[in-house]
Amino acid sequence: MSDKNSDPNSENIKIVNTGCCHDCGGRCVLRAHVKNGKIIRFETDNSEETTLRACARGRAYRQRVYSDLRLKYPLRRIGERGDGEFEQISWDDALDEVASKLIEVKEKYGNASILLMAGSGNQGMLHGIVPVALMLHQFGGYTRFWGAPSYEGALFASMATYGTIKTGNAREDLLNTKLIIMWGWNPANLIWDPETRLMLAKAREKDIKIIAIDPIYTDSAAIFAHQWIPIRPGTDAAMLIAMAYVIITENLQDQAFIDKYTVGFDKYKEYVLGLEDGLPKTPEWAEKITKVPAETITNLAREYATTKPAALIVGWGAARTAMGEQYSRAGNVLTAITGNIGIKGGYAAGFMRAYSSRETIMSRQKKKKKEGSIVEKEQPSKPRAQDNPVDFGAPPRKYSLYKLRGGTNPASTRVHINDLYNLILKGCDGGYPADIKMAYVVATNRLNQYCNTNKGVEALKALDFIVVHEQFMTPTAKFADIILPVNTFMERNDVAVPWLGSPYYIYLNKAIDSLFDTKSDLEICQELCKRLELPGDLLNLPEDQILRLLTAPRRDIKSYNKMKKDGFYKVKVAEPFIAFREQIEDPDNHPFPTLSGKIEIYCEHMAELNHPLMPPIPKYFSHNEHYDSPKAENYPLQLLTPHNKRRTHSSLHHMPWLEEIEPHAVWISSVDASQRGIKNRDLVDVYNDRGRIRIPAKVTERIIPGAVCVYQGAWFNPDKDGVDIGGCANTLTNDSYSPGGALPMNSALVQVELSPKTQMEES
Amino acid sequence: MRQLGFYFDQSRCIGCYTCSVACKDWHDIDAEPVNWRQVKIIERGTFPTPFVAYLSISCNHCENPPCIRVCPEKAISKRDTDGIVVVDQKKCLGNEACEMHCLKACPWNCPQFSIESNAKMQKCNFCVDRLEQGQNPICVEACPMYALDFGPLDELMEKYGNTVEAEGFEYKDKFKPSIIFKPKT
Repeated sequence: MSDKNSDPNSENIKIVNTGCCHDCGGRCVLRAHVKNGKIIRFETDNSEETTLRACARGRAYRQRVYSDLRLKYPLRRIGERGDGEFEQISWDDALDEVASKLIEVKEKYGNASILLMAGSGNQGMLHGIVPVALMLHQFGGYTRFWGAPSYEGALFASMATYGTIKTGNAREDLLNTKLIIMWGWNPANLIWDPETRLMLAKAREKDIKIIAIDPIYTDSAAIFAHQWIPIRPGTDAAMLIAMAYVIITENLQDQAFIDKYTVGFDKYKEYVLGLEDGLPKTPEWAEKITKVPAETITNLAREYATTKPAALIVGWGAARTAMGEQYSRAGNVLTAITGNIGIKGGYAAGFMRAYSSRETIMSRQKKKKKEGSIVEKEQPSKPRAQDNPVDFGAPPRKYSLYKLRGGTNPASTRVHINDLYNLILKGCDGGYPADIKMAYVVATNRLNQYCNTNKGVEALKALDFIVVHEQFMTPTAKFADIILPVNTFMERNDVAVPWLGSPYYIYLNKAIDSLFDTKSDLEICQELCKRLELPGDLLNLPEDQILRLLTAPRRDIKSYNKMKKDGFYKVKVAEPFIAFREQIEDPDNHPFPTLSGKIEIYCEHMAELNHPLMPPIPKYFSHNEHYDSPKAENYPLQLLTPHNKRRTHSSLHHMPWLEEIEPHAVWISSVDASQRGIKNRDLVDVYNDRGRIRIPAKVTERIIPGAVCVYQGAWFNPDKDGVDIGGCANTLTNDSYSPGGALPMNSALVQVELSPKTQMEES
Repeated sequence: MRQLGFYFDQSRCIGCYTCSVACKDWHDIDAEPVNWRQVKIIERGTFPTPFVAYLSISCNHCENPPCIRVCPEKAISKRDTDGIVVVDQKKCLGNEACEMHCLKACPWNCPQFSIESNAKMQKCNFCVDRLEQGQNPICVEACPMYALDFGPLDELMEKYGNTVEAEGFEYKDKFKPSIIFKPKT
């Protein structure tokens, strides 16, 4: 059974090598079978080294491309904003109107009044945000935001501790460890690089012990882990700090490693032992906070400290909380004090990037300087094509780690991504840097996927003009004045770059012509550039030529043509990457890229920020929406809003093959359900001061009592009373952010009750 | 005849449903209720020690298929060469004219009927179209966990042992389903 390239019934069928690149943790191979200009089915990666197999999301892609729900032609709003009433217009009319609005706003209010709301709905190098940002740079810029919803807490902590985000080991290194701790990490559903799931299964088959710490008994916990430790949401830092207490008091730390490679252990020790604040962070202290028995914490601490090497994977989920970076920092520090960094089978946690050709570009530039030393970021004298003129050259943002380079947030950017609704509603008078008049929305279902959707509705209604590039009538697109219908991956060329850990690229060859009257993001920008009298520059070139230019600096692509032909390019790596191997093996010549040149258990840069909730050592904090806050009296349940297996964020929501996989529901423990008279599949309301959703309950033993779970990505759909019967998780979440920039997707308090309809039926 | 069968490593299955969706895509089958390959979730136990497993099965192409015995029209047959159980939809009476004897006889609910009126029986045909081209069944080739395999049953048993039951799957000796497992423990 080996002939992989011929096709059954191959008459008139052309196989196009392309892929799936929405914003999950994978970029996977799809081989489209095209007959008479139509995709009739897909295969996936069946080459020798098979690691890029698409999951159900990609395999269902045909239902996205040919969905009746696709936006087919340009639309102009005719009803009230948000009502979803539109009329069909021509491309010329639509583009003319967008161009004239852009010019009008620029002339009347300045470029800062244009807000670019861009997201990660497309992960190609060329489409989505890329052409729009390049176009708007030429136009004089726009207000942009900082912060990434997935990982901002983990990113901040990674920079503070290690001075870099490249802190992960190659996935195959999981087979070299003796203990894997999956903390708030569910790659079974999230992918987290296509081969991660398989590596975990193989690790288990090798009898490597795996422990999962999570409020939810996830598929990863169920399938990979030997032990599940359920934990109260948002208290992970307390448990990690108590583990440090056990390790320190039992003298299990790797003191030689600490002395040689880290700074600030003694200061952390003072906090952990209670010398700083009179409160020893004992396992008993943590038990009350975390609901994890003290004995379990003690045993885990001992096991982690005495099993070497061990891989503590500090997942991003628990960092999407109101004090997210403290958890990530506490996890990073634990890997340091046990000396699990820079060695095979160890793991430094951090941001966990293990491979990125973006960094192959950067590292060449860096090597010209003294290796690893911190250099002041050189600013060009005027904005380049990739710079946004509006915030170009601005002084660094307060409370950013501006002295370090290598993160993903420009320190010049002022507004946090989760603060855009306040920006729009309050403007300059409210202390924000601009009065926003129009939003340019591309590759994002903003309203659905960021916190506090009802406030978002208010904000979008307050704008003068909204233009949206979309494939579907999303809850966000409903608020547009003009909708420009864009094509899908299958209808254009693009290149997808690796995600976090795997050395490969996907070339998304165009499989079919654009359906209906749709255009690519690039084509739209080409048209707009003409109308805005912009040079266009790079944007004027054909897709393939731009892609050649964009990929040219990535030296790890040895053959563009092979990548294009095969649809993927697997980079040959000499040996699996181990983060910080050089720093550990040859510290004299390879300092850590931090200000001290060492792993910063105590971060001087954070100390300088002088913010009470950004201490230089990791600490556990409560907050105003925690289980022990006054709000918990009315809203006693902690809401979790993780990713599920049937969507990528809110993309792919309406694909019938995927919808049947897992019906939308709120997970509630049998304990909490019975207290509320809720039975499995009852229709219930989940609510707080920000909103109310109405969806069925899944009564389950797979979640810690006191927590409920609504998988994010279901589409916001308010009924006439404002009840979101679509069950969008962000109807309930809070549009704040942690001091380090984490979005608190997993820090909302709610109450659950039987919906009025169910109550009526039962009485 | 050399009976073909499936192998399913339940210990690896993460319940991603890729096998099932790839099957629907390849064979052009709409969403529910037809599933040539079904993925079932098994959840039991109580907090904090719940148990979760997934079971992915298609038609098991039994050695003694009960569906064949009960079909009034002899619409179901077993191929001589490889033991694949196939249905001739031209002969099938449809689920309104017939009382779906095949479905009732099958302990694993493998015969499938769409929502069309008087739908004809359909089920996994082992991707005979792909086998003829020397390719793997689409589900086997789709699984990101490499939890599915197929081949002559005797070879599979040599390779993987002869465990015939798994969580959610009860072996029926009188039918002899052509599937072996590595169960989740």
